[in-house]
Amino acid sequence: MTTVAERKKKTVRMNGCVASAQAAKYADVDVIAAYPIRPYTATMMALAQMVANGELDAEYIVADSEHSQLSIAHGASSSGARVFTGSSGVGVQFAYELYSPISGSRMPVQMMIADRTLDPPGDFGSEHTDALSTRDMGWLMGWSCDAQEAFDNHLMGYRIGEDRRVLLPQMVCQDGFFVSHITSDVELPDPGQVNEFLPPYKHPYPLDPRHPVSHGPQIMPEQGPPLQLERARAMEESMAVIEEVHDEFAKIFGRRYDPWVEEFMTDDADVVFFLQGAHAVTARFAIQHMRDRGLKVGLVRLRTIRPYPTDRVKEVLSKFKVVGVIETNMGLGSVSSGGVLYAEACAALYESAQRPLVFSFMAGMGGEAIVLKEFYWMTEKMMEVQRRGKIEKRTHWVGFEE
Amino acid sequence: MATIEVQRQLLPILNSPNQGARFYNPELPSSEPFVPGHRTCAGCGPSIQYRMTSKAAGDNTILVGPTGCMYVANSSYLCTPYNVPWAHTQIGSAGSFTAGVAAAYEAMIRKGKWKGAYPNIICEAGDGSASDIGLASISGALYRNHDCLIICYDNEQYANTGIQASSRTPYGGMTTFSPPGPLVPEGKKLYPKDLARMMAAGHPHCYVATASVGYPIDLMNKVRKGLNHKGAAYLMVYTPCQKGFVYETPRSIDLGRLVVECGLYPIWEWHPEKRAFDYSFRPQNMRPVPEYLKLQGRFGHLHAEHIANLQKFANEQWRMMGVELPEALIQAADAKNLINMASAAEAAAVAETV
Repeated sequence: MTTVAERKKKTVRMNGCVASAQAAKYADVDVIAAYPIRPYTATMMALAQMVANGELDAEYIVADSEHSQLSIAHGASSSGARVFTGSSGVGVQFAYELYSPISGSRMPVQMMIADRTLDPPGDFGSEHTDALSTRDMGWLMGWSCDAQEAFDNHLMGYRIGEDRRVLLPQMVCQDGFFVSHITSDVELPDPGQVNEFLPPYKHPYPLDPRHPVSHGPQIMPEQGPPLQLERARAMEESMAVIEEVHDEFAKIFGRRYDPWVEEFMTDDADVVFFLQGAHAVTARFAIQHMRDRGLKVGLVRLRTIRPYPTDRVKEVLSKFKVVGVIETNMGLGSVSSGGVLYAEACAALYESAQRPLVFSFMAGMGGEAIVLKEFYWMTEKMMEVQRRGKIEKRTHWVGFEE
Repeated sequence: MATIEVQRQLLPILNSPNQGARFYNPELPSSEPFVPGHRTCAGCGPSIQYRMTSKAAGDNTILVGPTGCMYVANSSYLCTPYNVPWAHTQIGSAGSFTAGVAAAYEAMIRKGKWKGAYPNIICEAGDGSASDIGLASISGALYRNHDCLIICYDNEQYANTGIQASSRTPYGGMTTFSPPGPLVPEGKKLYPKDLARMMAAGHPHCYVATASVGYPIDLMNKVRKGLNHKGAAYLMVYTPCQKGFVYETPRSIDLGRLVVECGLYPIWEWHPEKRAFDYSFRPQNMRPVPEYLKLQGRFGHLHAEHIANLQKFANEQWRMMGVELPEALIQAADAKNLINMASAAEAAAVAETV
């Protein structure tokens, strides 16, 4: 026997962009700030149509830039509206000024990001550098690896960010093309389930003429640190809320995600890949393939990078002998001279009594798919490191070496 | 979808024969959305403007403050001078943040999430924000016609950062980014961006006007007209800065009159319904530009030819307003009939004080 809620659920085939738009609709957002840039644009196209059709009652604003998009989102969220915005690539960076003011004023703006390589030279493909460059600005941040997860992360993002214990903005990221433009089945919930899960947005101190407040006045140097500390604590304390919300989500919608890391075939693995986002889908397939040939390889996918689950990453990665970080981002002149994820993995492991050997791969760059033979090549490198017991090179550019 | 109709406020226009009246006006509300206790300089033109405009708007108002003097000098943490909600935003976000507030209230009232009359939403942007870094964001807000009023408090420079030239700094105006020197005797070589006219021309559906703190009733009425206009409105207000203009602090309102009487700040309105400019505002007197320039240290370095250039500029403004020029002003545009403001040494001394 099916319940009423289950009867109203429906499974529809859609891409990540449309799944994000659907999530915004289910969240009954009040203000949408749009500006076109590929590949995230399709989300705003879908929302524009929903507003035009009368399916969603929201102010749909075509902004004059990404800077304005984020400012509109900031103003609307400050007034008490639930806000949705988004961007890709250099667009994410054009708005950079606003990221700290939004998290600093504790406005739970939600931003959808479909990653795009930064210029030069105008590549449409996915690299995570756009969003990752803002990772320390006080936004909750994590990657989805398919359209269903994107839909779910948007709903969970609002619930977490708007929680009075958190009040922080969220970047809900998905890889451009691999998630944003590839269709898969998405289960759309019954609106009643969403109502149960996501209460209406109510900021404690909105810009309301009946209760005048001042947002963001000038401070003296000694007044700054307490506010920064509060923001830092909110980020830290959000971790408990994130776990709580994932539990609640599983109860209401029946899909359970580990909020921090997904482990795939790691039980007896010696070597594992550590990555974020859509390449996990191909990695799972490749790992299955290699397992059939007896290679003891697994996958650890980071689902939330801010707040960074340091203890969890330490605990999980300490189980293995070798960790190969797949970056898919640029960290020019970084710790590993590769991407930025390597340093995050290593820092978490520093306090571990059983540190694996960690090195990194520049793979999936420019929006290229990571193909099976590349997974084999990388696995071979990891096994070589395991055999020798030491790292030759911190970073390998996959496809550029023998 | 059931939607609730948005109720809007209608503010009465003040009847006063003297638009420059400085005396007590019983028609004004007693409420003070902008109260004393801030850190602006004595005689600060923008803060005089702030008090007048917020008073004209009343208590059902939300103020947006992009970075500038009216943010930095006004709003000290735990001690802000606003009796209505106020939010800081980035200097380039003047129009966009304001648009967000307006959109939020449209949606929240319509969807029954907030009950009450639509508030007056006023953005107080300095001329640096309005003419340079925030220009696109303001144009966007005007173009999209959000129900809000965007005020440019025009003190013709970036004053908060220590007097730097903006696109509104007049020809000949000395700032720390446009200092006079042997190779650049006039200081600022460029003429100010015709910002309000640009806003009217580009967004003809908006109510657009210029005003000056020298004419308080006119200013407050324009604020109310802008707020009553359903849609976006833009007001550019002359607000002298004693620190940057270098004048005696009690002369702020005098300068607000003189700049108009000298033809350097035309006061006009753009009526969106008629799609026409209204140039009927006339100051009591017409004066040659030195009357205005000589009160201010920022013009102390000008030579006769530069003053003549400013008179030519003023004469063009008078013609644009449809005013027939008296012979004296035509004569005053000839450098032969003018003398230098001061010696170079005296100008340098003034520059030291900025």
